[in-house]
Amino acid sequence: MSRVSFLLMIAVMVSALYLVRTQYESRSLTTEIDRATNEARRLETENDRLDVERRAQATPLRVEKLAREQLHMRTITPAITQYATVSGGAAVPAASAEVHP
Amino acid sequence: MSSRSVQYTSSPLLASKTPIWRSQFIVAVIAAGFLGLVARAAYVQVIDNAFFKRQGTVRFVRTLDLPANRGRILDRNGNILASSVPVPSIWANPEDIERDPVKLKALAKLLGMTGAELDKKLQDEDKIFVWLKRQVDESVAKDIAALKIKGVYDRKEYKRIYPEGESVAHVVGFTNVENLGQEGVELTFNKDLGGRAGSRRVIKDRLGRVVEDIGEMVPPVDGQDLQLSIDSKVQYFAYEKIKESVVTNKAVAGSVVVLDIKTGEVLALVNYPSYSPGKRGSLSGAQLRNRALTDTFEPGSTMKPLVVGLALEKGIVKPETLIQTAPGKLQMGTATITDAHPHGVLSVNEVIQKSSNVGTVKIAMQMQPHDMWEVFTQMGLGQKPQVPFPGAVAGKVRAYKTWRPIEQATMSYGYGLSTSLFQLAQAYTVFAHDGEMVPMSLVKTNQAQVSGARVFSSQNAAAIRNMLHMVTIQGGTAPKAQTMGYSVGGKTGTAHKVEGKGYASKKYRGFFVGIAPIDNPRIVVAVMVDEPTNGAYFGGDVAAPVFSQTVQQTLRMMGVQPDMAVKPQVVTKVEKESF
Repeated sequence: MSRVSFLLMIAVMVSALYLVRTQYESRSLTTEIDRATNEARRLETENDRLDVERRAQATPLRVEKLAREQLHMRTITPAITQYATVSGGAAVPAASAEVHP
Repeated sequence: MSSRSVQYTSSPLLASKTPIWRSQFIVAVIAAGFLGLVARAAYVQVIDNAFFKRQGTVRFVRTLDLPANRGRILDRNGNILASSVPVPSIWANPEDIERDPVKLKALAKLLGMTGAELDKKLQDEDKIFVWLKRQVDESVAKDIAALKIKGVYDRKEYKRIYPEGESVAHVVGFTNVENLGQEGVELTFNKDLGGRAGSRRVIKDRLGRVVEDIGEMVPPVDGQDLQLSIDSKVQYFAYEKIKESVVTNKAVAGSVVVLDIKTGEVLALVNYPSYSPGKRGSLSGAQLRNRALTDTFEPGSTMKPLVVGLALEKGIVKPETLIQTAPGKLQMGTATITDAHPHGVLSVNEVIQKSSNVGTVKIAMQMQPHDMWEVFTQMGLGQKPQVPFPGAVAGKVRAYKTWRPIEQATMSYGYGLSTSLFQLAQAYTVFAHDGEMVPMSLVKTNQAQVSGARVFSSQNAAAIRNMLHMVTIQGGTAPKAQTMGYSVGGKTGTAHKVEGKGYASKKYRGFFVGIAPIDNPRIVVAVMVDEPTNGAYFGGDVAAPVFSQTVQQTLRMMGVQPDMAVKPQVVTKVEKESF
């Protein structure tokens, strides 16, 4: 009788220690998940922020300014149009007109 | 020294007979004490355990707010017009802030305020939380953290960023520091954009790490993205052009509306002066007004095509019908209606082309007030446009029963009623869309084609388009509306501004509404320049050039094939317009 009790007591203790261990593991995993979720969220907002920044670098205002000042480009105008006619299957410039407004 | 043996066992102290009940009594008292403890333990742990449970919970269970992201606002091509990004906000605990004058001085400098201002914020030592400055730059927050002042903290908040800036400010609007929409579509669609915050209950350990979730988590619902029908390139270009026109004509303000008549979408809605939504330090009402929708004015000559359209529809005239407009004056009761200069006999086509008031009145007086009123109403005048925008106005068209004949006459050339630029543009979609009034949308529709309520037959709409085209060629009032590569048509308008009870003698508003390409229309563009003071003030001079440039860029961006051979820009003699 006392031997059975003793065995049961050992079993209960092992089980209790196992429970503590599982609980501990579960908690550290939860912490891990939470950290990863936060990281994901942070990266997401970072991505949003960079998206906006990229857009801010590519607004028509800025593009036009850079094109004008650094690349010395100008707005296209149909006043400068080259006409091409198709003859014999190949396009060759037949007439070119350069007209300035 | 003599000794005497002591018999302890026979000490007289022990001789007294102690009654047994005393020891029993002690045992009973101690036992009762233990029983009491057991009972109390049972009571707090089993029967009434709520209090201590709650106390325990308070110490390690936390409710975390899960903030929802506010949705982005995009243009029709998916470019970002508004988006939220997290930025630091600086707060302090005045109760236990470290009051080191050197550090506080450095802090004030970083926050961009004077030492006195900072002291004022921190003076109330009973408070445990005051914002020092909300939504500061990341670098500023880093510098402040580097000062290591005890009791000064930062926390992340969402800030709205508007990369396109001024050009689209009136459409998009802005939010306040609490992320609630205050103007524009930010306000109208605040609910959809806002989303709903969620929450979760967790157990935190000593280090503040989350170790366990308790109960159900309420996930946050992010706000929906909103895709507008606006094309940011068209918007920008129109903004630059109207700005240029306002500056060169020394005007007060200007607006442009670009509508896609196939899909009923608003491609651009621009006002100048504008503001930068990110920097709203010193805003004036003039900058904030979305004039294209909130300002009404008398539409002047731009009403004439509506009246002539109705006359064609009723069979009163044909485009070739001749009308005597000489001597350029028409007496109605005590009032005289005049043309800028006498024209003689004109066809109906030429009445529009040369913008003759006398000719238009002669046509209008053959019609019933009720019919005119009905057409005006069908074309959206006097009615609030169906665009989701705060502050859009209806304009004014009085009930036809109250019209006196002279009023019917003046209304036919655009005086005595009022409209916003947006309504005017929308009315012209009737001519562009083969006689149908197209419903307008500020949100991208993804429809290839829309249809609307019929106002005119498609032949009559085409006839009016032809007249509008004549306005822009030799002999018309707006040759400056011509644009290379595309055929256009439109109508100029110039109106005296109303001031007090009458018309201001030297204050004008010049505008132009037009359609392009004229044979197979894609867009309607309306341009208004308010109070030009640099000499030119006719719609054909101040507004038509903006129309021309906007049309050209817009159609090119939309990939519409030019319908005209390119010729050098023809500048013809301008016909003087009546107003």
